[in-house]
Amino acid sequence: MKFIAKKPREGINVSDEHPLVEAGTLIVGLTAIFIIIALALIFIIEVALYFVSTETEAELFSGWIPDDLVTVSPADERLGQAQSLVDRLARHWAETPYEFRVEIDDSDVANAMALPGGLIIVTQGLLDQVESENELAFVLGHELGHFRNRDHLRALGRGILLSLFFAVITGNDVAGLGINASDIALRGFSREQESKADAFGLAIVHSEYGHVNQAARLFERWDAADENVLGIATYLSTHPQPADRVERLRAIAERDGWRTEGQVTSLGWQGR
Amino acid sequence: MLTAPRFGLREMEDSFETLNVFVNFGLPLLLLMAAYFIGSIIEKNHFQSIRKREDDLHGFPVVSFDTMPDDWRVSSSDMVTGSIVISLDYFKRVIAGLRGLIGGRIKTYEPLLERARREALLRMTEAAREQGYDAIFNVRLETSRLANAGRDGKGTAGVEMLAFGTAVKFASRFG
Repeated sequence: MKFIAKKPREGINVSDEHPLVEAGTLIVGLTAIFIIIALALIFIIEVALYFVSTETEAELFSGWIPDDLVTVSPADERLGQAQSLVDRLARHWAETPYEFRVEIDDSDVANAMALPGGLIIVTQGLLDQVESENELAFVLGHELGHFRNRDHLRALGRGILLSLFFAVITGNDVAGLGINASDIALRGFSREQESKADAFGLAIVHSEYGHVNQAARLFERWDAADENVLGIATYLSTHPQPADRVERLRAIAERDGWRTEGQVTSLGWQGR
Repeated sequence: MLTAPRFGLREMEDSFETLNVFVNFGLPLLLLMAAYFIGSIIEKNHFQSIRKREDDLHGFPVVSFDTMPDDWRVSSSDMVTGSIVISLDYFKRVIAGLRGLIGGRIKTYEPLLERARREALLRMTEAAREQGYDAIFNVRLETSRLANAGRDGKGTAGVEMLAFGTAVKFASRFG
């Protein structure tokens, strides 16, 4: 046998597809798949919501408070006043199945949230910012709107299911791009929920005071402080932009012929 | 804190979200691009070097027979080895990780292992030629994974490719 020297042949063991083509296909394709799965999970939650009655919810979560919540002292006068304001507002939602409880969170970021079992949490930062009872009433009414639309359960269910799904996927720490993309894709739903809650909050304020003066003042002030330079924040945000919220509230008041002028009630703990 | 519908974070939210998106999308993509460009330059240069050295060694018999061909008359022999430890870059690892979700050819690893195989064979052959040998038979390739100590030994720091064989010196070439 004769030995004939040959050079190694190229292109057998190595694919000639460009690596960037593969990268692009994989990233775009998997992101699309993640978004579809996230949408399917959301659909599952909508179905589940249908089967969980508000009575069951109230029973399950009665007296429940998140462990990591740092509340102010029960003796704080703002707590009692906020609670009685909620009770007054809740009267305008006749068929409410909840007994609303208010807690004040020791955070400087102005915020409020609705948690299962009729728990409303407002932050110190928010109480520092509101300048009248009407402003606070709108915030609380907005949270009542979340309860009525059952957004608080939706948020809970999504939080659990999506993080469970992505925890399984991210066993190998590379799927972060798809996860974030689907998260952002879902924020459109979130903004829609917020708008609905805003509308409900405004209706509650109108029933309570007979006018909607100052209801949107908080947004007006936030809008003045905001700088949405790039314009992309609109699509990334979980909430509509403050200016849009003001505009929508104004349109609702105009459509329903609600008075935008009226007596503004001041808050008990602020300088009388 | 549990996820819950909120009234709306103020001021901070816009710039925070933009930063958030940059950290979640921009940074990994930037790293991915950087790793791709650096990695592909290194790979291109490596393949160039491999081809050039293969040309230099052209004609040096390297065969996988486990017994020596009958017509080889040899005066001395020894074992020769050539090994390379090669690591993946961030780009290859990320793309392979995504590929791992759906399956299929891990195309980003193929050129990496091709380089490792050819480089190991080259180093072995160069070692044999340096020591004055004329041919190598019974050539074998072995791979082993180098575990990454950082992640509890679960990650892969790289692979070692080891080529070894029996180098022989001809008494008189081809009989």
